[in-house]
Amino acid sequence: MASSISETNFEESKRIKRRKTGDELRDPDTIDHTRWRSESEQRIYSTKLFEAIRQVRRNSSPVNKVSSGRDIQDAADRVLAVAAKGRTRWSRAILASRLRLRLAHNNKKHKKARLAKVTGSIRSKMPEKKRFIPALQRKVKVLSRLVPGCRKVSFPNLLEETTDYISALEMQVRAMAALTELLTGSPVDRLASTSDS
Amino acid sequence: MENEFFLNAGVPLSLHFESSASMPMWHSLSSAMEIQGTEVNCLSEQSQDCFLNPNWEKSADHGVHFDSALSSMVSSPAASNTNLSNDSFVIRELIGKLGNIGNSGDISPHSQPLLASYIGGNTSANTSCYSTPLNSPPKLNVPRMDHLVKENLPSLGKSMPLNSSVADFSADPGFAERAARFSRFGSKSFNDRTSQFGIKNTDVSCRSYLPMDTEGLPRVSSSPSLNALGSQMGAQENNISPLQDRTELANSQEESTVSEQIPKGETGLKGSNDVNSRKRKTASKGKAKEATKAEEANDKSNAKRCKTTEANGNENGPVKAEEETKGSTRCAGDEKQSKSSTKPPEPPKDYIHVRARRGQATDSHSLAERVRREKISERMKLLQDLVPGCNKITGKALMLDEIINYVQSLQRQVEFLSMKLASVNTRMDFNMDSLMISKDIFRSNNPSPHAIFPLDSSASAFYGHHPQQNPALHTNVSNGTATQCPVDPLNTAPCQSLGVQLPPLNGYSESVSQYPMYGEDDLQTIVQMGFGQNTNGETAILQPRRFHVSDQATHAKVEL
Repeated sequence: MASSISETNFEESKRIKRRKTGDELRDPDTIDHTRWRSESEQRIYSTKLFEAIRQVRRNSSPVNKVSSGRDIQDAADRVLAVAAKGRTRWSRAILASRLRLRLAHNNKKHKKARLAKVTGSIRSKMPEKKRFIPALQRKVKVLSRLVPGCRKVSFPNLLEETTDYISALEMQVRAMAALTELLTGSPVDRLASTSDS
Repeated sequence: MENEFFLNAGVPLSLHFESSASMPMWHSLSSAMEIQGTEVNCLSEQSQDCFLNPNWEKSADHGVHFDSALSSMVSSPAASNTNLSNDSFVIRELIGKLGNIGNSGDISPHSQPLLASYIGGNTSANTSCYSTPLNSPPKLNVPRMDHLVKENLPSLGKSMPLNSSVADFSADPGFAERAARFSRFGSKSFNDRTSQFGIKNTDVSCRSYLPMDTEGLPRVSSSPSLNALGSQMGAQENNISPLQDRTELANSQEESTVSEQIPKGETGLKGSNDVNSRKRKTASKGKAKEATKAEEANDKSNAKRCKTTEANGNENGPVKAEEETKGSTRCAGDEKQSKSSTKPPEPPKDYIHVRARRGQATDSHSLAERVRREKISERMKLLQDLVPGCNKITGKALMLDEIINYVQSLQRQVEFLSMKLASVNTRMDFNMDSLMISKDIFRSNNPSPHAIFPLDSSASAFYGHHPQQNPALHTNVSNGTATQCPVDPLNTAPCQSLGVQLPPLNGYSESVSQYPMYGEDDLQTIVQMGFGQNTNGETAILQPRRFHVSDQATHAKVEL
């Protein structure tokens, strides 16, 4: 795949260059986006996710509150961030945010943000033709909000983060779907909800 | 002859210097062109005369002359390159003047398209198809042209709609050829603009134009025509970006040609620009600024082909020399700089863009800009591979839309799945832990799909259904249940019990042996083992994999 080829180039340059943390100088070569596709990565993730979910359940049972989807999602995101080994900005942001934000706060934030993003992206399509700067900038902003921890990242780095984030999300979806399927005994249809057993 | 025009037009003679050289190219070009215009070929000869002189002099006649001149030029394969090249300059001048006239609506639609196409053709094959280099005020009766013109040459602020003729020009395969050539040369002065244009004219014609622009600084700066041309060029460049989205081409062929040309030209130009810039680093700051601006503008316009070409044009217009004062100063500055720094610049670089930003590419700013742009485009390509259905989308804005939608859909999926998992979580009792574990392993070991029943509804019917699967499973399960350890069935305690209870673990000695080590690593190993056997397991989201959990549960219970 093209990305893998570019990745090798990146890796080489990475070895040569010193990685810089600044946005502008960040070395994109350090990130290998193809690793999210590997089976082993998914296995590792599934394992950890499983553990995390058990923990969530355990933690929530004393309180006698139903483990909400949000909890699971947070756990899944956290595990995903751990799997990323902190190389990417979004993974670090996820790990950092867990320490700061409360779940409820996250719920509100994310839901609002998501709604805003949806509408924002829709809105951005309308004035496209009128003003070209805002359209692009708006989309960049929307995207930066979608990817955790990337609100003030430069555009090229944002794209880099997005690439890794998309790969990681795909893996997360695969792993969670497999796990759900395993647990519920029914195939999980990605596009439609299946009945829970 | 040519000289006359230029003189008449106020354009320095040097302009058509090489028009003779360019002539053959144009000639081939024009011959290759598909000319919609039915007009004729007299243009080549007449064009200069009637075109330049009379047109300029008589506003009233402009339309007529333009019409004939343009049509002949456009349509006639015989039209010499020089004519075209000369005409381009002339046309621009004319357009400038006609702009005023055009406003009055004198210009006939025919001439307008011709003019537009002419200019477009001269400047860039690509652009001609799609956009009219001149902004056409609504006053003009040619709606198409107006639209095109507006978008293309806002700088000129002229009202010459240059639709069809431009399209004709662009359709010419010769343009593509030239564009390719042009891209090779990598007009350094036109960094972005030219790249966007994808090579408008043959190298020769470019050369002819450029030298005039860049070298004739005093003339350029002083002559409004050049400014107009420059703006035109700029506008045309900008137009190129929208070109791809234009569907106004008369001929589908033209469109295809143009589209081919555009990417060719663009990529070629960009590459060549890079090369040129690297080779020469004498660009001055002013040039750099303009180049950078142009690059950015062009870049953006490239990115957003369908969008706001007007905006781009507007941006470029002022930058290029739309407003004569601005343009002239800039042009003068750039030209001077380019003149000094671009002694050795390749003529093709300068040829199309009257703006004459030679040495732009060599400026550190423009270099940085280019590097930045390429980084962005590189990453966009990676993303394109990643996001499904983005192969045909070109342009940053559209790609961003797709990316945003895809990320949102993925996040929604994660949310949905997590909710599902949560429901599974709540439904199951503490046995679920062991169940989960066993399921993981089971799943991996079990290639055939089995229905997974939650413990609650477990049925003993499946108990002995799959003995192979059971051992590992009920080993775990028994461990879990045996220990009655809701907290950590995977703890070493269960492992020990697991070691004790290993009835049918024939086929799973592997997994069993690994159990004692149980910690997370082992679990991982176990899971991996399972996964290893079932490589498709994780990815087969849509494939039902069912396990007889009930078997294990019942079995465990039985064992207990």
